[in-house]
Amino acid sequence: MIEIKLVVNDKPYTLEVEPSERLIDALRNRLGLLGTKEGCGEGECGACTVIMDGKTVNSCLVLAAQANGSVITSIEGVGNRRSPHRVQKAFVEVGAVQCGFCTPGMVLSAKNLLDKNSKPSNEEIGIAMSGNLCRCTGYDKILRAVKIAAEEGKE
Amino acid sequence: MKYFQPYSVEEAIEIAHASESTFLAGGTDLVLHMRTGKAQPSGLIDLGKISVLREIKEVDGFIEIGSMATFAELGNSELVAQNAYALWQACQSMGSPQIRNQATLGGNLGNCSPAADGLPPLLALGAEVHLISQEGEEFVPLSTLLSRTPLLGQNTLIRGFRIPITGWQSGFSKLGRRRALAIARLSVAVAVEINGTRVENVRVALGAVGRRAFLSESLGRELSGLELNGAWLEKGVLEVQQIVREALGARASAPYKRTAVSGVFREALASIITEGGTQA
Ligand SMILES: Cc1cc2nc3c(=O)[nH]c(=O)nc-3n(C[C@H](O)[C@H](O)[C@H](O)COP(=O)(O)OP(=O)(O)OC[C@H]3O[C@@H](n4cnc5c(N)ncnc54)[C@H](O)[C@@H]3O)c2cc1C
Ligand code: FES
Ligand code: FES
Repeated sequence: MIEIKLVVNDKPYTLEVEPSERLIDALRNRLGLLGTKEGCGEGECGACTVIMDGKTVNSCLVLAAQANGSVITSIEGVGNRRSPHRVQKAFVEVGAVQCGFCTPGMVLSAKNLLDKNSKPSNEEIGIAMSGNLCRCTGYDKILRAVKIAAEEGKE
Repeated sequence: MKYFQPYSVEEAIEIAHASESTFLAGGTDLVLHMRTGKAQPSGLIDLGKISVLREIKEVDGFIEIGSMATFAELGNSELVAQNAYALWQACQSMGSPQIRNQATLGGNLGNCSPAADGLPPLLALGAEVHLISQEGEEFVPLSTLLSRTPLLGQNTLIRGFRIPITGWQSGFSKLGRRRALAIARLSVAVAVEINGTRVENVRVALGAVGRRAFLSESLGRELSGLELNGAWLEKGVLEVQQIVREALGARASAPYKRTAVSGVFREALASIITEGGTQA
């Protein structure tokens, strides 16, 4: 076991992890943050997306030990029922959520884009969301929701 | 399994020398290989905390790229876009945003899949690889390194790459995603030295045609010293098909790739040859 320190959703943690343990396992099993989903487990689907030091990564491909010293945002750190993030609001309004399995990852990719770029073009939105797959909605609504959230963010 | 997280290159190669451990860069290949059992390292040396390995900078007429520079960092680098356009292009189309944020150029070479996207551009651009171990340091042309088996000694760290700033123009194109069947993948990188309307020198590299990416010297020779025009492009298409034919022989993918390569080759040149002439 090795000791790592990291900040998750603004809270500092010190954890003992196995060297081969992935970040998604540490988030789900050690911190009980079950919002991060494991879809393919191979870096293809983006369901496990979290923001690590300001960049989206697939937490199924990062070892927990690699995240030592990092600042992580998982879906639990983005908003909640009472005060949803504007991306989450837009997803609900537009109907961009069906089974919801892809949604946490989608929301994190969209949030990270808007944090960096308050006025993304359609092309920039398309690129930012291209690592997140959805089996249900057919993407139109998802892209529209991100567009709406972006509009709302501009004053 | 042991896990090391050194803060300097010296420390990393010392650990590698003493422990038979495996270097870990972004982990986009290695973490998967550990899960499938394809890789069973006795220890990992995580290079992620060695900040000098992430640098991308201009030094004495070269672009120096640390092995831990990610595809996203390279794809956002003005220096790379200006002087190594083929590499910059490869960085835009590689993987997904999440993969590009994590995957490194050093790991791309370390894993050395036949379809590694970073390698054809580096070959076409005449890159050298900076290797370092307890035994010493060396700069090896990538084309030479790719003919070695095994690619690297177990204790050898890829310190980085250097690409000469030459003013050559370059381009890259690929067919097929990573998960596409091997038969449906192909990539081409081209770098040309243009003088007025003449193509003085050419380097063409191919990926996913055979075991590792390679530079075609004969193609470079055939296409050098000619006028840059439609006839030159058509000659290039015929020659590159010939190279694929020779490289793949009777393999099942040969007929498909022989045909597909002409389109990929034309696309790789699209940023260099525009309709009606050349682009600055
Ligand atoms: C979903 C998905 C999509 C992908 N798409 C693409 C694609 O489009 N194009 C493409 O080319 N690849 C693709 N890949 C493969 C992979 O992302 C790349 O090969 C990547 O560059 C590997 O880099 P890494 O930093 O993650 O390496 P790691 O996985 O950390 O390491 C890979 C290998 O290199 C060795 N190594 C790493 N760094 C060094 C060093 N400095 N010195 C010595 N040895 C070292 C490691 O020991 C290991 O054997 C994809 C992977 C996934 C999961
Ligand atoms: S579960 Fe990580 S990318 Fe699919
Ligand atoms: S809503 Fe079901 S996978 Fe996207």
